[in-house]
Amino acid sequence: MAKSFDVVVVGTGPGGYVSAIRCAQLGLNVAVVEDDRPGGVCLNWGCIPTKALLRNAEVLNLVQHASDFGIAVGEVRADYAQAVQRSRGVADRMAKGVEFLFRKNKITLFPGTGTLTNARTVEVKGSAGNETLQAGRALILATGSRPRSLPGVSIDEKLVISSNGAVRNETRPASIVVIGAGAVGVEFADVYASYGTQVTLLEALPRVLPIEDEDASTLITRLFGRRGITIKTGVKVSAVKPGGPGAIVETDGGRFEAQQVLMAVGRAARTDGLGLEAAGVQLERGFVKISPTMETSAKGVYAIGDMAGAPLLAHKAMAEGVVAAEAIAGQHPRPIDYGNVPSCTYCRPQVASIGVSEAKAKENGREVMVGKFPFTANGKAVALGETDGFVKVVADKATGEILGVHIAGPEATEIIHEFAVGRTLEATLEEIMHTIHAHPTLSEAALEATLAALGQAIHI
Amino acid sequence: MAVSKVLMPKLSEAMESGKIIKWLKKEGDRIQAGDILAEVETDKADVEMEAFGAGVLRKILSPAGSTVPVGSLIGVIAEPDEDIAAVASQAGGAPATPAAAAAPAAAAAPEMASRPAAVPPQPRREDPAARTPSPSTGPTAPARVAAAPPAAPATALRPAAAASPAPGDGGRLKASPLARKIAAQSGVDLHVVHGSGPGGRIVRRDVEAASAAPAARPVAVPVAPGVEFEDRPLSQIRAAIAKRMPLSKAPVPHFYVSSEVAMDRGWSLREELNALEGQPKISFNDLVLRACALALLQHPGVNASFQGESIRVFYRAHIGIAVALEDGLITPVLRDVHAKSLGQIATEARDLAERARQRKLRAPEMSGATFSISNLGMFDVTEFSAIINPPEGAILAVGSVRTIPVVTADGLGVGRRMMLTLSCDHRVMDGAMGARFLQDVKRLLEEPLRLLV
Repeated sequence: MAKSFDVVVVGTGPGGYVSAIRCAQLGLNVAVVEDDRPGGVCLNWGCIPTKALLRNAEVLNLVQHASDFGIAVGEVRADYAQAVQRSRGVADRMAKGVEFLFRKNKITLFPGTGTLTNARTVEVKGSAGNETLQAGRALILATGSRPRSLPGVSIDEKLVISSNGAVRNETRPASIVVIGAGAVGVEFADVYASYGTQVTLLEALPRVLPIEDEDASTLITRLFGRRGITIKTGVKVSAVKPGGPGAIVETDGGRFEAQQVLMAVGRAARTDGLGLEAAGVQLERGFVKISPTMETSAKGVYAIGDMAGAPLLAHKAMAEGVVAAEAIAGQHPRPIDYGNVPSCTYCRPQVASIGVSEAKAKENGREVMVGKFPFTANGKAVALGETDGFVKVVADKATGEILGVHIAGPEATEIIHEFAVGRTLEATLEEIMHTIHAHPTLSEAALEATLAALGQAIHI
Repeated sequence: MAVSKVLMPKLSEAMESGKIIKWLKKEGDRIQAGDILAEVETDKADVEMEAFGAGVLRKILSPAGSTVPVGSLIGVIAEPDEDIAAVASQAGGAPATPAAAAAPAAAAAPEMASRPAAVPPQPRREDPAARTPSPSTGPTAPARVAAAPPAAPATALRPAAAASPAPGDGGRLKASPLARKIAAQSGVDLHVVHGSGPGGRIVRRDVEAASAAPAARPVAVPVAPGVEFEDRPLSQIRAAIAKRMPLSKAPVPHFYVSSEVAMDRGWSLREELNALEGQPKISFNDLVLRACALALLQHPGVNASFQGESIRVFYRAHIGIAVALEDGLITPVLRDVHAKSLGQIATEARDLAERARQRKLRAPEMSGATFSISNLGMFDVTEFSAIINPPEGAILAVGSVRTIPVVTADGLGVGRRMMLTLSCDHRVMDGAMGARFLQDVKRLLEEPLRLLV
């Protein structure tokens, strides 16, 4: 006997659970299907648990440098297994939070694997039995993504691990080769290096954090180098095989040996076995093709989050979830501005950006003014003892339009939102300039970078 | 805290009085600066009136439904314990302050409310130069506009960018800072831009769309020769001057060319067209509109505007259609007439005229014409000369279609004739140019099948 709902959401990651809640808020009767714990990769295996691990790394670093503050702590011992356990605890708590939100919003959770048999029907195969769910109004697909590997290299989660393995392994290797220096690779390199693992970070593109502004890449390269992390950029991995201390990574720039290899080359949409063909949902370059309201090629079938394409970020998935829900409820949601999605990497120091890099702005033919302000000249940063990094503002020379902002430094991922709001409101440098920033704060660096772009920086 | 007078604001350049549709605050309500006090109907639109002073709305002097001149005292804001008798007694339709009395000269002045104590009466002259905003405070000082952007700082921005355009004439103009700057640089008048952002806010894409449509861009006003010019956005004051100066007709050296058009074939064509079922009724004016649009494309020199050091020639025909209202005249603009069929022209022109009479035109529909037509045929006017509506370069005055004796090859016959008189800006064109244009309009109307192809 099929069960009927207005909306059936497949997947409960940040895209899925947000869209389900928004649908429920709009008076729709919602079912969600999940083959893992609610919360998806983000809460269980990605964003949240890694932030817990990175916090451990940060605390460890702080304690190791306690003498800088005149605090004697004696011998510092850090148990990596306990760091992972704490991280799992954080993930569990957040996943329970999602379950609570489902109950609160009267959303029915069906544990199991969902398969579409047509554009309105989902067959759920679960441990507790099978169900057929009918979606009266719409289906929302939000099955996310999974780590990708390189051709010829299989992720066995022993010798070659993915972020999924890395986040739950309670033992850390003595040495590791991290393939891919995007956000995931850089964050794990930071965690492992902080705990004493010998890290080699490989990147095929010419620099680490290749999507960020070059200044941020340069800074992270320098600071990681100082922490003993080996970085090789512009190298292509040709093979990964067992040998040496564990694995041997062959590249066009030499051989690298380590106990383990972390594959962090990117993620692929998780769509196999979902029944997209049966529902008439088309793909485009491996991701589901969507309209500005997230509708797929099949009417009434929506796709959001990682499976619907770049950028593969939880906050973009959540925003898409809201748009899809509101469109399904007959509202006219404001389309997502994909040019205004913040990008954040939580290594030490953090890197955050919005808009385009200086190079990209120039490539786009814009005449730019650029302002850069180092945290060494920011009182709060000096007081914190966190002076690495800068705020860099790239603006249109004629109008002061904020084209891009790039921050490396303490709490960069928080400071960036000033510019996210500014860009949404179409503020120009003048409005940022005329906004009084509290003193002393790290955000003053945002003001000073703005002033610097206008040739009026005070504190440098 | 001083007593604040609430005065009937001047919400558009041409506004002389306003009707209070309704008060959104009642006596006794506490008012913050920026609160919407009332809705006011002006000659062109319904506008929300913002409070400038803070306090309690102590007295409403003009009830909903009343029409009062600009500058009249319509309410009083003060603290509960303040004596307002002296202020309230000034009510009675007469403009309450010298500043308000001079309102026509101060179109840019946001006279939403003024506190006489803070507003020394300034001597005013009718000399336009006297209307230039001065840095000193006074009733016209932009600093009194609540929505005014901060004064332009000394920045690396180009001067044009730094000069953020002032918001609407008293009415708050909602536009993003970036939209304002791009508008300033591309010469787009934000008042004619439709806002697509939240709550009708004008955002970047709206300005870009407006500046991409060349004729939607208001052109600079005609200016006296001998000065250096460039296409620059108009300040509110300049816009007001630009509107008023030509009223004297002096700055635009008009000349006139007239021609009589045989409308016999046009008459039969129109009858045939109007006999078709399911087709919109075509008027003579629609035929003239179509003929002018086609001729304007052939004679861009007539579809042109004087720009000081250059003449701006338009390649699209946006034609203003003078519509008589009970108490005045309004000229809604039919865009891209050259690209429209007679049926389309008929439908859209009628819609514009009807909405003009109901005062339901949207701002973009009231500006951006490259040429205008004024038709007094329905009043049985044989011929007349119209005054050019700057910055347009010409206007066509259309008389009635008369049945008169005409000389034909066979002798004396009866014909239908219509007089056309083209008023031309001599700075833009010469007599021959205007005459050739008129000749083409005449030919199109006399061989009206050309209007259908």
